[in-house]
Amino acid sequence: MSKVFAIAKKELTAYFKSPIAYIVLILTISVFNIFFYMIVDQNREASLRDVFKVMEFMFVFLIPLLTMKIFSEEKLTGTIEFLMTSPITNTAIVLGKYLGSLIFFTLIIIMTVTYYFIIEYFGQPDRMSILTGFLGIWLEGSFFLAIGILTSSWTHNQIIAAISSYVILFSLYFSISFTNSLSGPMDAIVRYAGTWSHLGNFTVGLITIADVVYYLSGIIFCLILTRFGIENRLWR
Amino acid sequence: MILAQNVTKYFGRFQALKDVSFEIKKGEIVGFLGRNGAGKTTLMRILTSYLPASSGKIVIGGDDVEKNSLAIRRKIGYLPETPPLYSNMTVNDYLKFAAEIKDVPARGRRSRINEVLEECNIGEVRDKTIGVLSRGYKQRVGIAQAIINKPELLILDEPTSGLDPIQNLQVRKLVKSLKYERTVILSTHILSEIEQIAQRILIIRSGRIIVDKTLDMLLKDYSDDQCAESTLEEVFVKLHSETSEGNNE
Repeated sequence: MSKVFAIAKKELTAYFKSPIAYIVLILTISVFNIFFYMIVDQNREASLRDVFKVMEFMFVFLIPLLTMKIFSEEKLTGTIEFLMTSPITNTAIVLGKYLGSLIFFTLIIIMTVTYYFIIEYFGQPDRMSILTGFLGIWLEGSFFLAIGILTSSWTHNQIIAAISSYVILFSLYFSISFTNSLSGPMDAIVRYAGTWSHLGNFTVGLITIADVVYYLSGIIFCLILTRFGIENRLWR
Repeated sequence: MILAQNVTKYFGRFQALKDVSFEIKKGEIVGFLGRNGAGKTTLMRILTSYLPASSGKIVIGGDDVEKNSLAIRRKIGYLPETPPLYSNMTVNDYLKFAAEIKDVPARGRRSRINEVLEECNIGEVRDKTIGVLSRGYKQRVGIAQAIINKPELLILDEPTSGLDPIQNLQVRKLVKSLKYERTVILSTHILSEIEQIAQRILIIRSGRIIVDKTLDMLLKDYSDDQCAESTLEEVFVKLHSETSEGNNE
């Protein structure tokens, strides 16, 4: 377990030693702030529902930037050989890397908690729906991170890793648009697979088992695939 | 210490290792020789459990590489061909990280890091970022990483490639100083180097072991038909010209 933390710590320091972390942090927070202002100014209601939707949209674009190098860089520089010949299980490597990126992502979420204090100061927001909204966006981001880590484990090229995760995230995020032309069970499947309806429930204060299971199983599924993906034994 | 039996390795249809068998005893220093692409790195990667063998069996210190790879990894220190370094870390942080994931007990970690810094002669760059170091320093940081957990078996893949003569000498000295404590396998194509360090030579050609002898024996065998004793280089060239003629068999 201590090795999982050692890897997580190493990942986290790597983020803060490269400019990409600061670019993502500053960009995310500035864009979020602008949208927060615009949405509150327009809606004139003490709710973060639409802010969460914008955050979700932005994360579709930002998270692949955070995760693209997690495994691909190790593969490119050969440090993966160092990790995988050290007495540490592949599961611990994957978990450590996931934990590191999760902590960084949680930092971004924590910085947006200020929005709650601002609307709390000026109005009477529904605290419960804000709390569940934060939980929802955090779960969704965590799912996106797992997808990003998975695609990063497929290649030693960061760009390919990023583009692959864009493809997956776009299809999950925009799948709702295709449901117009679908009907019956197909419609239900696409609706469930897409992220749209799941976060929607959280932002209005609903925590349903189906939504939580959706995110958690998605995360676990991606991490298990990553775990097997980095194993060289598949190509014996 | 190491027992390899009929190890083969396929990459797709390409057979990188053909029926490789050998035994290495504790405390031996063995040199893997061979041209580029002969299969040295593949063999080392299989020994370290980084790659699985397609068939065959390898036992290191009583543990099967296939079944107990974690136990194996605790026993070995490995320096791949390109030192596996994180260029944005400082030498100190990197070694600390290596010590953490290689089971160096937390209490002795700091003193162990100081020891390897001194042993590898890199104390003066301990606070520098690895990315700015010269090739020679990087190589030595790579060796420091490999010996940090006091492995019984040290596997070095071309530890001196790309170094200038002085750095080369330093690395060689370092490897020599290590050999008193442990079994060492190293690969190189700089033959004079192996002559100075290794006691036993395994020559690999196209995935097959064609020579497995002590250095003295090998030189003696090939000096029979000549008046003067051969150098390893002459033997190497001779062996490769012989086998390339017999390539069609």
